[in-house]
Amino acid sequence: MSKQRVTRRQFLNYTLTGVGGFMAAGMLMPMVRFAVDPVLQHNAAGDFVVTDKKISDLTNEPVRVDFTFDQKDAWYTSEVTNTAWVYKDENGEVIALSPICKHLGCTVDWNKDKANPEHFYCPCHGGLYTKDGTNVPGTPPAAPLDVYPYKEVDGYLALGKAEPRKEA
Amino acid sequence: MKWVANDIDMYLGAKEYVDTVVLPLFPISFGDDIKQTTSMTEFISLLSIQLERQFKGRILMLPGYTYLKNNSDDVLVDDIKRWEAEFQNQKFNHVFYLTSDSDWRSREESFDGTLIWLPSLPLESMDEKYRNSILEDQVQQLIHLFVKKWQNND
Repeated sequence: MSKQRVTRRQFLNYTLTGVGGFMAAGMLMPMVRFAVDPVLQHNAAGDFVVTDKKISDLTNEPVRVDFTFDQKDAWYTSEVTNTAWVYKDENGEVIALSPICKHLGCTVDWNKDKANPEHFYCPCHGGLYTKDGTNVPGTPPAAPLDVYPYKEVDGYLALGKAEPRKEA
Repeated sequence: MKWVANDIDMYLGAKEYVDTVVLPLFPISFGDDIKQTTSMTEFISLLSIQLERQFKGRILMLPGYTYLKNNSDDVLVDDIKRWEAEFQNQKFNHVFYLTSDSDWRSREESFDGTLIWLPSLPLESMDEKYRNSILEDQVQQLIHLFVKKWQNND
């Protein structure tokens, strides 16, 4: 038995402060979380998808790389396959271009059209892009091809979300 | 472009670039050939999704024409003719029908559009990777067909 006895009044005070504290915390926590939500959000560019292409296998000739990820449309999750044209430029830097034509969204192909070798060609309306994805003036597209941010994961190429290019 | 609101907005803004319409033909039957008609429908719908991705900016991919397989030729041809008249009103230069149902081959002469008939493949028994590569091959052939048709008329 301790000498300092807790009075009934003290005991009730302590208990009420404790319980009240918990209740206040329970109310404030979601509010704080709500307020700082943008900080906690996953960065879209952080969602990189690892492809089955090794970075060391890339040359300066664009190759087609397909990669698959799960896409959520409301409650419906579906598997989506995306394509990138990937090569190394003269500095050894990896360039991953989106094959989606900036005109109306057809799929462009590298070096397929005999009249336009060494270009990305859109079969729909004859859109042309040079190897670095810049649109050729006089053809329908008004912007260069989108670029995928990339990362290296254990020697394999990982691609993020295609972004429109800032310049031009 | 698909038959969804976003794509149709794009279509309305770029009508002069969209000169091709694709109508997949889906047979339905509840008789002995229920399985065949199912796999025909499944195959063509998967294929049409891929095809639309390739040529998004120039073709309008319709949701498809679903019909009872035991309908008489006259009924079906009449219906397709009505579709065709509407496509002409809308100034589509190229009309394609995509189907696995071989019955359409005998009806092909009765209408103007191009009929693309592809035998359906038993996709349900393939694993995903293999299935995708098979579909990819089929789509490549279709791409060739479309591009050729466009070049002939340009």
